[in-house]
Amino acid sequence: MDFLAEGVRRAWGLLIAGDSEVFGIALLTLKVAVVATVIACTVGLPLGYFLATRRFWGRRAALTVVNTALAFPTVVVGLLLYGMLSRRGPLGGLGWLYTWQAIVVGDVLLALPIAAALSAAAVQGVDPRVRRTAETLGAGPWRTAWTVAREARFALAAVITAAFGQVVAEVGAAMIVGGNIRGSTRTLTTAVALYTSQGDFGTALALGLVLVILALVINIALQVLQGRGNG
Amino acid sequence: MVELRAVRHRYAGRVVLDFDQFALPQAAAVAVVGHNGSGKSTLLRLLALLERPTEGSVLWNGTVVPRRPAASLRRRVTLVEQRPVLLRGTVRDNLVYGLEIRGFGRSAVNGIIGDVVDRLGLGPLLGRRRHELSEGEIQRVAVARALALRTDVLLLDEPASSADTAAAGALYRALAAERAARPFAVCIVSHQLEDAYRWADDIRALADGRLSPVTPENLFRVELPAGDGVKTVRIGSIEIVVMTERTGPAVVAIPPTDIFVSRERLASSARNVFKGRVVGLAIERHGAGVHVRAEMGGVELVAAVTAEAARDLALAPGGSVVFSFKATAVRVF
Repeated sequence: MDFLAEGVRRAWGLLIAGDSEVFGIALLTLKVAVVATVIACTVGLPLGYFLATRRFWGRRAALTVVNTALAFPTVVVGLLLYGMLSRRGPLGGLGWLYTWQAIVVGDVLLALPIAAALSAAAVQGVDPRVRRTAETLGAGPWRTAWTVAREARFALAAVITAAFGQVVAEVGAAMIVGGNIRGSTRTLTTAVALYTSQGDFGTALALGLVLVILALVINIALQVLQGRGNG
Repeated sequence: MVELRAVRHRYAGRVVLDFDQFALPQAAAVAVVGHNGSGKSTLLRLLALLERPTEGSVLWNGTVVPRRPAASLRRRVTLVEQRPVLLRGTVRDNLVYGLEIRGFGRSAVNGIIGDVVDRLGLGPLLGRRRHELSEGEIQRVAVARALALRTDVLLLDEPASSADTAAAGALYRALAAERAARPFAVCIVSHQLEDAYRWADDIRALADGRLSPVTPENLFRVELPAGDGVKTVRIGSIEIVVMTERTGPAVVAIPPTDIFVSRERLASSARNVFKGRVVGLAIERHGAGVHVRAEMGGVELVAAVTAEAARDLALAPGGSVVFSFKATAVRVF
C-alpha cells in the first residue's frame, strides 16, 4: 500500500509545483476535447433533431446505424482511421497521422453517434405540440428547431456533457492515431497508460487527478449554464 | 380561402379522414361538430398546413398548396390546439413570439398585444410563466397569441373546453369583436353543438372521419321580443312560437328529430304547424333514417323520420307535407 500513498504524495507535488509536462499534457487534452466536442455537437445535434423530427425513407435504418455506432470500440475506430490517414491510405496526403488533428478526428467519430443518438432521444422527448405550436405561429425550420431545443435544454446539455466525457476519457483511438508522442500528441489518458506501464505511478496518478478535475470543472460549468437558462 | 379536396388521410394505415370537399370561405365562420375521435383535430391540422393529406390536395384561394408551403403562406393561418402549450418564457414572450417572426417593430408589437390583452383580460397574467397558469388561462393565452397574429384564417380546436361559462362567453365575445373589426375566416371544432349554434354561419358535422351528408339544420338567427314565456319570432314568412326567458338577438334551433311529420294537419298540442312542400329526402349513412327537407313559406326546415315512416307517408320531392313541433322543442341560444 506504500506505493499508493507515495503515488498520491508525488501527484500533489507535481500539481502544486505546476509541473510543465503535466500542464502541457492537460492543455493539449483540453484543446483536443473542446475542438472534438464542438465539431461532434455542431454536426450531431442538428442530425439528432433531423432524425427525431423528419419522416423519410430509411429513417429507422439511420437511427439503428447511429445507435449501433454508440457501442463502436474505440480501438477499432482508431485502427480504421489509422488506415485512412497512413501514407498509403486515402487521406494520407493530409499528413495528419500522429498529430493532434488525427486525435480530434478519431474523437469526433466516437462522439458524433453519442451527440446524434442522444439528441434525437432528447428531441423525441419534447411534447410534439411545441413544434406544431412554433410552426403554426409562423416559425421557419431554424426558429422551430431553436424553440424545440430550448424546451429540451437540460437533456441537450447532458448530451454535450456525455460527448465531452467520451472524448476526454478516450484512449484507444488517441493512442493509435496520435502515437502518444511526448510534447506533441500525448494526452492525459495516453500518458496515464504510458506512465503506469513504466511503473511511474505518481505521475500517472497526478495526470489521472487532472483528468478528473477537468471533467468536474466542465460538468460544473455546464450545470451553471443550465441553471441560468432555467424557467 | 382554404379548401381540402378529395382527402383521404391515414395514420399508421388507419383512415382518419375521408371526404370529397371541405371549404372554409373567406371571412366565414364555420363550426365543425363531432364526437371525440371523429377526426376534427386532424382536419384542423390539415387546414393549418401543418400536415399534408395522405391523398388529396389542399387549395389556397383555388391554388394547390405545394408539399412544402412557403413561410409567407403558412403565416396566413394559425391553429390553437385543444390542449395548447405555451412556449418557454412569460405570457408576454408567448404573445410576442409570432409577431417577432413577422418582423413587427416594438411599438407595433406593444399596440397589438395591448389590444388582445384587453379583449381577453390577460393583463394580470402577462408576467407569468406556464407553470403558474391554470388550463383555462393557458387556453385563453393561446387564443390571444393566435388572435394577435391577425391571420386570414384562424382555427380553434375546442377553445372553451377548459373555460368556465363566463370565460367561454368572454372568449366568444372577443372573437366576435375581432371579427367585427377585421374580417377573417374562422373555423372552430367542438363536440358541443350548442357552442356551434351560438356563433357559426355554417355547421359541418364530422363522424368517423367523414363529413356527414346531413348537417345540423334548422338554425335561425332571430330577435327575441321582451317578455317572459311564450314568444313568437318571425323567420322569413313564417312565425315560430318558442318558450324562452331570453330577449334580444339569439339563435333558435329546432332539432330535426323533434318535428312531427304528417300529410295533413292533425289536432295536437304542437303550437307550430306548417304546411309545405318536400324539397328533398336524404337517407342517413346507416340507412335507418331519412331527413326530409321541406319548404315552408320560403323557409327550409328539416325533419328526421324513420325510413318506414317516410314510406308509409309516401313522401316524395314536390309532394305536400306538414311539420309540427311544440314550442318547448325549439332551443334558444
